[in-house]
Amino acid sequence: MNSIIVSCKNIVKTFNAGEAEVKALQGVTLDVYENELLMLVGPSGCGKTTFVSVLSGLLSFDSGACEVMGKNIADMSDEEITAFRGKNIGFVFQAFNLLPSLTAIENVALPLTVAGEKRTKALNLSKKMLEAVGLGKKAYVKPSGLSGGEQQRVAIARALVHNPKFIICDEPTSSLDHTSGQIVMELLQKIIKEKGASMIVVTHDNRIYKYADRIVHMEDGKIIKVAS
Amino acid sequence: MFRVAVEMLMHDKTKFLGLLIGIVFTAFLVTFAMGYFAGFMTRGFALVSENPSAKVWVMDPAVSSAEATINMSDSALDSVRGVAGVEYASPLYLGDVTARYANGDFQSFQIIGVDDATLSGAPLPADLLHIPNSVIVDSGGTEGKLQTPIYKKDMWSYDGSHLHAPTRELRYGDEMLVNSKRVMVAGISHTIPRFPPRPLLYTTASNFKRLIPGEKRYITFIMVHPAKNVTPDELAKRITRTTHLKAITSEAFKKETVMWFMINSEDVGDMVNMVILAMLVGFGVTGVMLYMFTYENLKQYAVLKAMGASTKQLSDMIFTQVFISALAGSGIGVGIAAVLEQIVSSPTFPFRMMWFAPLVGFLGVIIVSMTAAFISLRPIKTMEPAIVFKL
Ligand SMILES: Nc1ncnc2c1ncn2[C@@H]1O[C@H](COP(=O)(O)OP(=O)(O)O)[C@@H](O)[C@H]1O
Ligand SMILES: [Mg+2]
Repeated sequence: MNSIIVSCKNIVKTFNAGEAEVKALQGVTLDVYENELLMLVGPSGCGKTTFVSVLSGLLSFDSGACEVMGKNIADMSDEEITAFRGKNIGFVFQAFNLLPSLTAIENVALPLTVAGEKRTKALNLSKKMLEAVGLGKKAYVKPSGLSGGEQQRVAIARALVHNPKFIICDEPTSSLDHTSGQIVMELLQKIIKEKGASMIVVTHDNRIYKYADRIVHMEDGKIIKVAS
Repeated sequence: MFRVAVEMLMHDKTKFLGLLIGIVFTAFLVTFAMGYFAGFMTRGFALVSENPSAKVWVMDPAVSSAEATINMSDSALDSVRGVAGVEYASPLYLGDVTARYANGDFQSFQIIGVDDATLSGAPLPADLLHIPNSVIVDSGGTEGKLQTPIYKKDMWSYDGSHLHAPTRELRYGDEMLVNSKRVMVAGISHTIPRFPPRPLLYTTASNFKRLIPGEKRYITFIMVHPAKNVTPDELAKRITRTTHLKAITSEAFKKETVMWFMINSEDVGDMVNMVILAMLVGFGVTGVMLYMFTYENLKQYAVLKAMGASTKQLSDMIFTQVFISALAGSGIGVGIAAVLEQIVSSPTFPFRMMWFAPLVGFLGVIIVSMTAAFISLRPIKTMEPAIVFKL
């Protein structure tokens, strides 16, 4: 077995939405291994997004422990965790979240720009990354000029351009038609194997289960089944 | 990140234009309001301005403006002339009269009497005041108030007034009655318009006394020109000390007059309130617009934060955006006000862009914008970065 990259123990997260309490995570324990593509599946509202928010340090949690690459994220300050995330974690979102004002290549370059990389170098790396996702020709097009599938491929290039060790994809295919979804998943699978990173793909689309190394089923804030 | 900030700012052209127009409008409004106010105030002390050589003004101790006055006794002139350092001193007589035009209509004037010998204080063509019983007429910022009939038949007619007779502007040679005494228009001057606007009659001290006889005290102001070896300030103090009259420099007198207007004139009070209101509204609108701009881009900032952008980087972006908008907007706004000053400034429209008008317009907008930027940082700092996962 490969070594563990993410280790979560008994994570509890409760939202206080006004009067009502929402127990989004009720003791989630999960390890993610190096070089695996783990799929987190389950019905809408079962806590998948909440869980990946917690382990990327974007959301605080109530109790439990979460170590990412050997670092206890609860011990880090907001600034530390932000810097850590910028360096080590890549994101792909359902809503793509490209900056509408920037061209494809500038969007891809963002993680490098944020890290203070020189513009020319950042753009060179981004160009290569765009070519890897098959969008070399659309480098200078803004998101509004791209199809959904193309936008998600740009987002994938952006998630990977700085060689993060851990990639989080929240419903990467849910906003796409079936064919585009397949293309995106194949791309993710291929790149992850080439680069040797770990990836969590959150989804409720069972047509893409075939790309998973491991499938973790969640329901009502708990993990109910793990299948290989 | 600077680039990303600028791209973000300029991306939505309509939104950016809206933001810019808002800021331009504010800067313009504030500058213009200040200029308008300064214009009025400049006219408020027109009497002082049109006598630039009078560096020191002497008056009754109770007087604190060029607008509301009480006279001094005639002996004041001699006492002032007796003070060391007074190169020369000339009296100025102020009064209000109602004059009757040839068609029977009437008009109130401020009458300004000047020293017979030097005619110091009279506008051009001052020399013509040597003609007996003559006056120089000035519109004083009014319009259409200096009218006399065109036709001889409508003048001083025995069948009473001809109020609806066709009229023309007064000119050299026309006659009026002041307190039933005949005066002749020796010329029309164009001095600084007054605030509040009112027609003026300039005449000699002796003619002044003929038109308004029987007063105990005539001298309203004494205009003093200091000798070379004394500053206006020193001389003013010296005159105050030795004569027990009030003597101040012309600059101080202008300031006092402005203060007097602000405190005593309801019109000016209204104007000040309007200027303040314009500023508050403008500043408020600018601040809210900038805040909204940041707020609408909150998710983009969350995305950047997910990619590792520090709070410092994000706030730098906001300050960059706000600073660019504020600089460009207020620059254009103040520019428009300056151009407009050239176009609209006229005898009937007081407008004067003094140093503080663009400064307040410009700095005001920058300060308000920076404040808005600071407030905009709050949602950035308190946002739940997990919103990046939301659709
Ligand atoms: N910020 C929040 N405030 C309150 N409740 C929330 C918030 N985010 C998620 N929830 C609730 O937590 C539960 C889990 O949500 P989520 O993790 O988004 O589910 P999933 O991604 O599996 O669809 C849901 O009931 C959702 O309504
Ligand atoms: Mg979700």
